[in-house]
Amino acid sequence: MSKLGSMGPQRTSISLKAYWNLLVSYLRRQWLWVTLLAVLLLLNIGLQLANPQIMRRFIDLTQAGEATAVLLHIALLFVGVALLQQVVAVLAAYVGERVGWTATNALRADLAEHCVQLDMSFHNEHSPGEMIERIDGDVTALASFFSQFVIQVLGNLLLIVGVLVLLFREDWRIGLALAVFSLAALLILGRLRDIAVPHWMAERQASADLFGFLEERLAGTEDIRANGARAYVLRGFYRLMRAQMKVSLKAALMINILLNAMLLLVAVGTAVSFAVGAYLFYAGAITIGTAYLAFHYTAMLERPINVITRQMQELQRAGAGIARIRELFQVPGRIQPPRLADSVALPDGPLAVTFEDVTFSYQNPPALDKVPDSPALNVLHDLSFHLRPGTVLGLLGRTGSGKTTLTRLIFRLYDPDSGAIYLGGSPPSRDLRQIPLPDLRQRVGMVTQDIQLFHAAVRDNLTFFDRAIPDERVLQVIGELGLGEWLRALPQGLDTVLESSGGGLSAGEAQLLAFARIFLCNPGLVILDEASSRLDPVTEALIERAVDRLVQGRTAIIIAHRLGTLQRADQIMILDGGRVREYGDRAALANDSSSYFYHLLQTGLEEVLA
Amino acid sequence: MSARSTAPQQSPLPAWRYLWQLARFRPGLYLLLGFFEIMFFGVTPQVVGFITQAFFDRLTGDAPAGLDAYTLAALVVVTALARVAFIFADVAVYFNFRYTVAALLRKNLFEYILKRPGARAVPGSPGEAISRFRGDVDEVAFFMAESLSLAGFGLFALVAVVVMVGINPRITLFVFAPLVLVVVAANLAMGGIQAYREALREATGRVTGFIGELFGAVQAVKVATAEPRMMERFRQLNDVRQRAALKDRLFNELLGSVFRNTVNLGTGMILLLAAQAMRDGTFTVGDLALFVYYLGFVTDFIATIGTKLAWYKQVGVSIGRMVRMLQDAPAEAIVTHGAIYMHGPLPEVPYVAKSETHRLELLQAAGLTYRYPDSDRGIENVSLRLPRGAFTVVTGRVGSGKTTLLRVLLGLLPKAAGEIRWNGQVVTDPASFFVPPRSAYTAQVPLLFSETLRDNILMGMPEEVFDLERAIRRAALERDVVELEDGLATMLGAKGVKLSGGQRQRAAAARMFVRDPELLVFDDLSSALDVETERMLWERVFEMGESTCLVVSHRRPALQRADQIIVLKDGRVEAQGRLEVLLETCGEMRRLWEGSVNEADGL
Repeated sequence: MSKLGSMGPQRTSISLKAYWNLLVSYLRRQWLWVTLLAVLLLLNIGLQLANPQIMRRFIDLTQAGEATAVLLHIALLFVGVALLQQVVAVLAAYVGERVGWTATNALRADLAEHCVQLDMSFHNEHSPGEMIERIDGDVTALASFFSQFVIQVLGNLLLIVGVLVLLFREDWRIGLALAVFSLAALLILGRLRDIAVPHWMAERQASADLFGFLEERLAGTEDIRANGARAYVLRGFYRLMRAQMKVSLKAALMINILLNAMLLLVAVGTAVSFAVGAYLFYAGAITIGTAYLAFHYTAMLERPINVITRQMQELQRAGAGIARIRELFQVPGRIQPPRLADSVALPDGPLAVTFEDVTFSYQNPPALDKVPDSPALNVLHDLSFHLRPGTVLGLLGRTGSGKTTLTRLIFRLYDPDSGAIYLGGSPPSRDLRQIPLPDLRQRVGMVTQDIQLFHAAVRDNLTFFDRAIPDERVLQVIGELGLGEWLRALPQGLDTVLESSGGGLSAGEAQLLAFARIFLCNPGLVILDEASSRLDPVTEALIERAVDRLVQGRTAIIIAHRLGTLQRADQIMILDGGRVREYGDRAALANDSSSYFYHLLQTGLEEVLA
Repeated sequence: MSARSTAPQQSPLPAWRYLWQLARFRPGLYLLLGFFEIMFFGVTPQVVGFITQAFFDRLTGDAPAGLDAYTLAALVVVTALARVAFIFADVAVYFNFRYTVAALLRKNLFEYILKRPGARAVPGSPGEAISRFRGDVDEVAFFMAESLSLAGFGLFALVAVVVMVGINPRITLFVFAPLVLVVVAANLAMGGIQAYREALREATGRVTGFIGELFGAVQAVKVATAEPRMMERFRQLNDVRQRAALKDRLFNELLGSVFRNTVNLGTGMILLLAAQAMRDGTFTVGDLALFVYYLGFVTDFIATIGTKLAWYKQVGVSIGRMVRMLQDAPAEAIVTHGAIYMHGPLPEVPYVAKSETHRLELLQAAGLTYRYPDSDRGIENVSLRLPRGAFTVVTGRVGSGKTTLLRVLLGLLPKAAGEIRWNGQVVTDPASFFVPPRSAYTAQVPLLFSETLRDNILMGMPEEVFDLERAIRRAALERDVVELEDGLATMLGAKGVKLSGGQRQRAAAARMFVRDPELLVFDDLSSALDVETERMLWERVFEMGESTCLVVSHRRPALQRADQIIVLKDGRVEAQGRLEVLLETCGEMRRLWEGSVNEADGL
């Protein structure tokens, strides 16, 4: 389904360094909390170690026939230590959760930011549903890695060491036997560490495929329903669900190899402590209380080994997540921001536009097995033209002739495969690649064919959450576009939340909102891409004036299928198959009976005259 | 019926009713899982407990007969090997069951959503719906799979109680007394847990919904240079979610801690009570070892009951969210049993061959009314009459209700009032009725999917039966197909982005034509087309002759060719008739017509 996902289950070992780097970079920002967490966990371990000592003392004293009052005190001490440990444990869990969330949220934000910066060829390959799975799903799998892993693994290793030290203090033979056991256990767990990572990765991708499919279909229920494609879509859904179940089962079974290994290890440990304890007790080297202590501590070893095992499982899932996250981070931004030294600013006022031998194809990346400039695949071929500041260019051509692509290149939604685009005029010419992206997109405004709305307030939909734009300005623009009536009909005015599907909003209104967005900026170049295609003639006339004002004192490129929209154009360019078919002043072309534009005008007028 | 779309959500049944249905979905699998869980959690740990007791009694000489200490040590390892064997079988059954339950829930959700009026299928954004499809489903399936470990634990606890009562009833009582406390405490805390979990799920839904929209609208975001502000918004939503998660966690931890502390108090009580008994010699060190060993498990059991109760409430939240996503569905729709196709062949995609029974003679609608919730917009009392072969154009200004009319007629929006008749017969469920081969529809902004162009057009129709080539020609798409890198096999990318707007519109038209329906419904089909392509398309539509067409348009070729025009204004029919007549009698029609004149005249 996607390029990133095509790397099936293969043995991918995540180096410890990768884990470490990730941890350090996201935990460093909150080192105070991390320190607090460490202190709490150490305290927790200390308290856990204390209680068996109390138990041992209790047993030996009862066996020795000690007075009940002393025993009572010991029992109360036990309860006190247990209570304190609980308080510490709750605090540690809370702080751990906080650290985990802070880190994963930072990671989510970084990841989302990185992906948003990627050019459109990336987004064409990855559905929004898949992005949800990769930015939220994969990162969520990392949550406990951040909050728990280091702390738990280090903490429990410390606990093991503490237990062993205490056992050595009792008797070096017990200590030695259990030290050998613990070491063996940890080595075995370490070896099994990566066993399930590739399976988890496959599982993550299967999930992403499934939910990507779902998201797309949920957005298109109308098309599915009314064209009787329900059974077909359900079949696809079953297929993906089955695939996901298969890889998930496999991953789960692999993970459980670890759990089994752990169970066996603990049993062996118990057997060792029994055997050594019995031997030493019979030899008279230890008391029955100490034999119990040895048993109890061995049982206590189960917990840290258990926890470390669980963390290893988490780590495997996290490993899969980390690998996928790194994959995503490593998708190169094909649109490189200019280096600071090279970057140039755009002049104020209308902007000149120059294309020099621009060739472009949507192949991503340009396929190696195909001739790189195989003409059939190129959307634009050696395109050159120059627009003086303040000129209005009318762009014509059949659908698929490259009109929209041309405008996308100006926005650097893609970079040309060869050739260059200059903005802002000469001298010195400013290559698009030298202009900081925010500057570029601030100075170029565009209304596209697809109006994308957010599940957010009307205001936020118009300003893209820019709270610096005052309501009066927003209201003024809405009024100028004749949407005042529409706004008044909304229950909460600017605060009314729109549905992302645009439900309750006609496509024409949605398009007017897109116009409002552009009026709220102050661009030096405006691009109207079939901008009025969905407006009825009456409404279209309504915004004509507004468009006139928008074009005033600005350079403009207007793509239109309706010839009428081109009346304000100074120049006309007609594209055909990604090449310029005709380019010149509108007035001259319109009067030249041999021009294709003239022919088109005749066709268009037929519509009126017929 | 309007009440259906705006009525308060129906309250879901108690959660156990849903869970019981799920348990009964694959009863054999569920029982098998129960058996393994009981063996794993209930039986084998008992054996280890007895070995421990025997070991210490053997050392102190309280139990002089029986196995020696070293044999007992070896037995521990043997028991563990038996447990491992169980686990492998258990894990396979466990995950099979869990994923089966998840699959059933997802299937039911998705199936039902595809049955709903298509234009309002899910409340909120698709991305938000995904959080329910993912998180809420997983939560319920996980709970179901875990539900039986409680049975295993319960059995273990039962045996433990019998054994402990046999040794010392008084001490036993003090171990189990806290259990009652815990259950009471947990029940008192339930309200809080539910509220926190609900808040967390909601915050999560907003985050996933936002990611979905962000990447769905990524081009608009880039164009508006809104990345920093969008990221700011994302961070805000993340922060809200973090706060909700921390509250949820803290509350859970506190509750868990209450459980554990009652148990630790119990341990203290054992020590206090055992002191006397051990000095009397009625309670051996082996007994103490067994009691403490049991206590570890009883701790888990009590905590499990408490957390399971809390979890049960949280599962109720998830179920509620799923039920609400289906809006007006019958309460048990999400747990209805049915095939999930995890094995064997996938279901065939059926198609209905067109026959005489589908033939359209006359389509009538009377008094169609629909109001968008929270607004006074919609359509009011619209009637229309489409005889066979008629070409009907709906026209009007932006927001006059043209698209709404088509959607209500086709059942893509639930009508609030009105009646639809097909050949004189009342259509009771337009959503299921208006599908191929009776009708097909092309939306104003049609959606394509990340599949090949061929699959997007056919959508499961058998290529050998339906004339794909003719449909492509009728949609004036044949030149574009040739120019695509892999022709009909070209993968179109997410939502069909690899095609231009006009190509997408015509691909959707081909999708409609290939179904060869009796009634063609298209909404502003030519809005993204250039003049020449548009003319070609209209010509080819008119060539089709026999078809009955209902079209939203304000294009002159369509208006001139129309057998009747329905002029909508503010959701009502302003006028109806042929163009010549309407130009005489209807001011609104004149304005709309003049608009198109100016448009072309201005050159």
